[in-house]
Amino acid sequence: MNKFVGKVTIVEVLVWVLLIAVLLFTVTPIVFMMVASFMDAKQILAMPFSWIPSREYFTSADRTFFTNFHKAIMGNNDNPMFFRNLLNSLIVAITDSATTVILASLCGYGLAKFRFRGRHFIFLAIMSTMMIPFEAIMIPLYMVVSGMDMINTYRGMIIPFMVSAFGVFQMRQYLLTFPSEYLDAARVDGVTEPGIYAKIVLPNSKPVIATLGILSFRNQWDNLLWPLLVAQSEAMKTVPQYITKFSEEKMTDEGAMMACAFLASIPMIILFFSLSRYFLGGAAVYESRKG
Amino acid sequence: MGRKSYSIERKQAKWGLIFTIPCLVFFAVFSFYPIINALLTSFTNRRAIARTSEFVGFENYVYIFTKDNGGFPLSNSIRATLIFTIGTFIPMIIASLIIATFLMQLRKDKYRGFFQLMYYTPAVLSSVVAAAIWMIIFDPRGLMNQISNFVMRTSGVDYNWLVDSTMLQISTMMIYFWKYIGYFVILFITGLASIPSTIYEAATVDGSSRWHTFWKITLPLLKPTTAMVSIMAMLQCLKTFSTQYMLYQGGSSRFPIDVITMNIYFTGIRNGRLGRASAMSIVLFLIMLIFTYIQLRLTRSSEDVEY
Repeated sequence: MNKFVGKVTIVEVLVWVLLIAVLLFTVTPIVFMMVASFMDAKQILAMPFSWIPSREYFTSADRTFFTNFHKAIMGNNDNPMFFRNLLNSLIVAITDSATTVILASLCGYGLAKFRFRGRHFIFLAIMSTMMIPFEAIMIPLYMVVSGMDMINTYRGMIIPFMVSAFGVFQMRQYLLTFPSEYLDAARVDGVTEPGIYAKIVLPNSKPVIATLGILSFRNQWDNLLWPLLVAQSEAMKTVPQYITKFSEEKMTDEGAMMACAFLASIPMIILFFSLSRYFLGGAAVYESRKG
Repeated sequence: MGRKSYSIERKQAKWGLIFTIPCLVFFAVFSFYPIINALLTSFTNRRAIARTSEFVGFENYVYIFTKDNGGFPLSNSIRATLIFTIGTFIPMIIASLIIATFLMQLRKDKYRGFFQLMYYTPAVLSSVVAAAIWMIIFDPRGLMNQISNFVMRTSGVDYNWLVDSTMLQISTMMIYFWKYIGYFVILFITGLASIPSTIYEAATVDGSSRWHTFWKITLPLLKPTTAMVSIMAMLQCLKTFSTQYMLYQGGSSRFPIDVITMNIYFTGIRNGRLGRASAMSIVLFLIMLIFTYIQLRLTRSSEDVEY
């Protein structure tokens, strides 16, 4: 009996040691980013590295702990382009997640609760687009968008990502289990079909909508490739582009680069810690069309 | 009576179609048309600036598979992509399976939730932020060399994380691994949680040790999840772009990490060779189609599993 208890304890210790080691691996770089954004380049690359920002490394007297953030925002030419690009990222990500939710829920509802000719074919056709990776169609998509004269516009950045096949799939699966009696009862009461969608279907699919909206927001927030193609003027660029450009120009100013990365991460970090259950739920499903 | 309900159904069916049409139009314009267009463009010599477009047959395909494309041949891109994919997803699957199994050993849900949250945090940061952080950690005077020197018991050795072509490839794998490990841990936890606890109880009653239970019960029952997650990880790795692009912009050499997506971007957008880039896109599409086909086969068989 004693032997058994001893064995369990060893296993438990091993489990905790491994879990904490992995925790250190995932969290350390993030903590590094946070502390380094308050440091001088000299301290960031000091040997050995000290984890507490210190004034003694500062090369100039007028430097403060927030100099990095100032540089990150003002860039090279004292022009707060960062805010403009942040705004662009927010506009694109918010519009895309809103439209994805609306269009996918409409389509999912239509496919789940109505019987019309061709619905199986439509569903299969939409599902088959999940097999087309964005990276394989970006060149023709670029030609489509430039043919519509939407290069360097919000429309060009937003419209190609307004729907997601995975979103349609998720909404359909969710609504299949929704009791049709509620819908029929509303019909008997004389509620119109769009009214049923807005007043009954939408309010009752909140969990899927939240997961879907967050997934779409995150994908667009992280999107670098498509803005690289369509957003060409400085004023139209997004945050990932800003960071890429910043790292090119300020390669030797590591502190400013980390401040820039930190600032760019704040919206997602806030969103993550306040809505983590939707993130972790959304992770359990396959995001096939990440782009 | 029969006639009336029939007309109500027809009226309803009309609404079903109305609800699905907006989505369908989008998919037609932004998914089906582009992939067909990519196929057609891949047989032309279309260029971005000249705006000429003539049919050239398989010339682009012959070109991308035989010529060196200005020093960055497709063969190298396929090599870089496959090395990155294999080097990332195999360690990722093994590590996330082990971590998920260990997490399931925790007695309190509260602790498990905390670890999941912390493991997932890197996935929330954007890929460029991840690359930016690691570029500084991989600096010759940076944290990674200090840690490596400490672990390897050397002093002052520069491991050339972003310079040496082998190390550069390992660095991209490490960044990707770091970013997505939490995501795959959660996928495995979902799979593990779906195994009924009665099976474990029966095993404990029969006197099976934890080690034995893991090998004889957990792993076989987790096989469908493992297969599905591996293919998913593979597909994700095949599409990698941001990490490699960011490191290249940061001053690393392009050749060792010139993955297919990066080659498409440079050939099509930077050099304006839309025909050649489209041919590369079709190659990428076919590679991913094969993997998706395998995934569908495996997912279907996983649904047949009964406990």
